[in-house]
Amino acid sequence: MRILIIEDEPDLLRALAQALREEGYAIDTATDGEDGLFKAESWEYDAVVLDIMLPKLDGWEVLRRIRKTKKTPVLMLTARDQSRDRVRGLDTGADDYVVKPFDLAELLARLRALIRRTSNQTRAAIEIGDIIIDTAARSISRAGESVALTAREYALVEYLALHRGEVITRTALYEHLFDENDSTLSNLLDVHVSNVRKKLGHEFIVTRRGHGYCIEGCT
Amino acid sequence: MIFNSIRWRLQIWYGLLLLGVLAGFGITAYELQRGKQFRRTDEELRRRVNELGNALRANGPPPRERGLPPHRPPRDRFGPEAQIDDGPPMLSPEERPDPASHPPREFHLLPRQAGLFDDTETNGFYYVVWSRDGTILGHSTNAPANMPIPTKPLTNGPIPPRLRGEFREAYQVTPPGEVLLAGRLITSELDELRRTALTLSGAGGLILLVSMAGGWWLAGRAIRPIDDISAAAVKIAAGDLSQRIDLQDTSNELGRLGTVLNSTFDRLGAALEEQKQFTADAAHELRTPVSVVLTQSQTALNRERTAAEYRETVESCQRAAQRMRRLIESLLELARLDGGQEQMKRERIDLAHTAADCVKLVQPLADGRKVNIHCAVMPLNCTGDAERIGQVITNLLTNAVNYNRENGEVRVTGEARNGSAIITVADTGQGIPPGDLPHIFKRFYRVEKSRTAGRTGLGLSISKAIIDAHGGTIEVASEVGKGTIFTMRLPQA
Repeated sequence: MRILIIEDEPDLLRALAQALREEGYAIDTATDGEDGLFKAESWEYDAVVLDIMLPKLDGWEVLRRIRKTKKTPVLMLTARDQSRDRVRGLDTGADDYVVKPFDLAELLARLRALIRRTSNQTRAAIEIGDIIIDTAARSISRAGESVALTAREYALVEYLALHRGEVITRTALYEHLFDENDSTLSNLLDVHVSNVRKKLGHEFIVTRRGHGYCIEGCT
Repeated sequence: MIFNSIRWRLQIWYGLLLLGVLAGFGITAYELQRGKQFRRTDEELRRRVNELGNALRANGPPPRERGLPPHRPPRDRFGPEAQIDDGPPMLSPEERPDPASHPPREFHLLPRQAGLFDDTETNGFYYVVWSRDGTILGHSTNAPANMPIPTKPLTNGPIPPRLRGEFREAYQVTPPGEVLLAGRLITSELDELRRTALTLSGAGGLILLVSMAGGWWLAGRAIRPIDDISAAAVKIAAGDLSQRIDLQDTSNELGRLGTVLNSTFDRLGAALEEQKQFTADAAHELRTPVSVVLTQSQTALNRERTAAEYRETVESCQRAAQRMRRLIESLLELARLDGGQEQMKRERIDLAHTAADCVKLVQPLADGRKVNIHCAVMPLNCTGDAERIGQVITNLLTNAVNYNRENGEVRVTGEARNGSAIITVADTGQGIPPGDLPHIFKRFYRVEKSRTAGRTGLGLSISKAIIDAHGGTIEVASEVGKGTIFTMRLPQA
């Protein structure tokens, strides 16, 4: 899962990025509206966390322009708590609205829900055969036994599970699992896939040679 | 209850006033009519009383001298007619009868006088003559019975006729003491007067009723705007500040009152809105640093960290706390300035000195940003609080340095003009767009719509409040790409 955070307060941005990275998200950051809009338009993010008070382009404008081309879920993060601001945000196309100061746990839960909703997954747990992926606890169990995965490995499984039945290209996987600062060595993805197969079974992730990877039901 | 209503009070006062006017008018009209009615009768009666006097004299001397022609003094050249109305004949003292031994005279009407008193018609004139001891000497047949003897009034002069029941009577007392009275039954005149009185009171009552109804309507009309005003005021008092008084006619007194109230409500609403916005902005400004502290601490506590990571978290929390402290200080300062609690010292200061101190203070910041500050303020006297004015200049200088370009310049100049000390701070920075210029002294207003570390968005508001408290002005002129000039004027005396 790759998330873009657009926030001009450097301390808040750094803390948020750190918290989200530790949750296994790939995080890109932008400190002003223009940069944020450019990134949001250039990449397929799984979610955008958008502040309203931004230099150069304010959050409303960034949201309006993103909505012209993208359906990326946007979570507005703002200190404005008046209901007319919330209404305006939601009407402009925001998918959720979190008021500062927020509770980090709540923000993370809202982000998970947002990403889940976008993949038409309403429940927090995804069952594939005897493997259960708990997106709330970010844990995976196989036949009732908990399986330990690294954050990156978990992100890979979760992404494929949320898009199960679809063939996901290697490029798409790169885009959603690694942020702009990762040196995307081409074999890094293969290493992760191989590790997941060791832990969850070789047949869990199917390779479509020349196309990409897929979980369950792809032909 | 009723007396608490202006409409009722107006109505009552109006009614009383109208009643007074109508009563005065009616009584006057009645009196005029009455006087007119009686005057003719009274003339007739007086003529008849005089005739009675003539008849009494013609009836001759007292019975003692009966049969003798009345002794009269020689007639003067005015002739007998002139004597007729002169009352009793002038008798010489020796001839004058002794009143005590004066026996009652007899009385008969003279033949030529018979037509004056109509014995037959009940509505006609009648007469009664009394002797001085109260016996009736003579009376006409139509005279009412049991008539009281009129008494001679104490005052001299003509005796006014009297009204006794429906009888109008004029009378005279002769010097010997006989009383002559002529009267008439004036039922028809009195009836007419009664009718007049009835007509007058009826008309008056009708006018009063119609006027009261009209007055009620008028008062209602006049008061309706007051009801509108109070209805609007009640809604506003209940918290609906969007309510305004519906004004149909703004030219009359109530219309003007309504206009004044409306503009007052506008100002109140705007002030309240401003206050609300200010509170919202202040809360907004505090939210971001609180978010930083919360997010930083929650992230840090999620798992074990290295000492360096903890240090970083604590530093970032400290920065957020510093920012909150600055903001709170600024807010408190503004609140004090707003409340007028901040007393400005009034001492003679040299602005050149103050400006130089400020430049020294800002110099390190300017050096860091490679900005040159030129201070060219000649000794410039002014009355005020050196510390607070220094705070304003420092704020302007800091802004001028922060918003400047690299190798830019800041120029501080000072001059005295028209009794004002004028300090200008000009920079060669990015300038302020014309659309933002009118707002830059507003609280939390930022040309750049974002938070820049270390700035509260209150600096210029505080500067303006301080200059205002000194009775001075602060203005701004700017050209995008060239720079900005702040000009502050302070009274020298």
